[in-house]
Amino acid sequence: MSSLHNIKHRINNVATTRKIMKAMDMVSAAKLHKARARLDGARPIFTEIKNVIDDLKYCEEVRDNVYVAQREVKNTAYIVITSDKGLCGSYNKNISEAVLAHMKGKNEKILVVGIKGSEFFRRRDKNVIRRITDISETQMYEGTGRMAERIRHMYLSGEVDEVYVAYTRFETTLKYAPCVEKILPISDDGEDSGIRYRGMKYEPDANTFINELIPLYLHMYFFAAHSESVACEHAARMVNMESADKNATEIIDDLTLMYNRKRQAVITQEINEIVSGANILK
Amino acid sequence: MGDVMGGKKVHLQIFTPRGLKIEEKADMLVMRCIDGDMGVLPGHAAVSAALGDGILRIINNSRTEQKIAVFGGVAVVKDDLVRIMTTIAQRPGEIDLPRAEADRRQAELLLQERSEDVKIQSYQVMLRRALVRIEVSVYPQEDED
Repeated sequence: MSSLHNIKHRINNVATTRKIMKAMDMVSAAKLHKARARLDGARPIFTEIKNVIDDLKYCEEVRDNVYVAQREVKNTAYIVITSDKGLCGSYNKNISEAVLAHMKGKNEKILVVGIKGSEFFRRRDKNVIRRITDISETQMYEGTGRMAERIRHMYLSGEVDEVYVAYTRFETTLKYAPCVEKILPISDDGEDSGIRYRGMKYEPDANTFINELIPLYLHMYFFAAHSESVACEHAARMVNMESADKNATEIIDDLTLMYNRKRQAVITQEINEIVSGANILK
Repeated sequence: MGDVMGGKKVHLQIFTPRGLKIEEKADMLVMRCIDGDMGVLPGHAAVSAALGDGILRIINNSRTEQKIAVFGGVAVVKDDLVRIMTTIAQRPGEIDLPRAEADRRQAELLLQERSEDVKIQSYQVMLRRALVRIEVSVYPQEDED
């Protein structure tokens, strides 16, 4: 009987956990919806600014501008965007490992967003110079603005010589791509294959223009990257909770089957005992 | 003016971090760059300009004009398409006038006190933005002289 009782207990346990998963799934779905709305807002302005920056690469006047010229690389800054909470599958691991592979042979200075990424790099004794955790999503816009200013000062003061940002790009709810992209200096690195427009004039002049544009560019880069990552985090969690829910249902089915078999076995045994008892009395 | 242009118009798109916010057709645009106003008519040469805090004027039929408050950002003019990327762009109806008035008074008060240069700069920005908002909000449309 005790084993029957145990199985019943396990079924109840799994059922309670499944309820929690269902709730988390629903919460993630709602958050994903919000995150996607924000992402849809952030993408167009970012793409447009990126185009302007790509055009600027061909402008002779700005070759020696501090944001454009390549300099000898002593320190490399990485901004890595991960999540604070787990239960989202390989989302944090994928992006952290992509960065780890990328920074081989570089003198890294890491600014990490999210507890998960921060733990990952601490365990591997990497040079994390700043941890940004527990950000509320309503604070994201201002927060990325402050981060852009900080990075700009670090770059101008020579504390770092190049800047990379690592985030997870949202493609569909089931598909995300971790990317590590170079944002500063903006010199032509041959990655851009499209035919660019070369006849652009700049007001008041190209150097002033670029100095005005860079703060906005960095801010929008971080804002878009963060929006992409947050959408991926919620999508990953939602998908994981869905499959966890499926697994829990399977476990409950298996346990219920086992429970019924045991119950029948007990009943059969009882009948057997009664019948054989009655036979003896005959 | 419209006749001279042969009905050609300038297409305006304003992008903010919330997406493509404003899309308009206009005979002429006047935008505030960091070193003065720039007017754009159809057929304008390709140019990218850094914008200051100021009013973007959208002029149609050379009579009526709409005003939009634009704070910083950049404008790209190419093939009669004007794309403005900015963090804030507000139509007259979106401006909180009492708040802008309050900002203006506060900034004026703070500017009278002695303080560090950095602070003075930020108060000046605050005052400038408040004044732009007030103007856009109080005179949303006006006929050209």
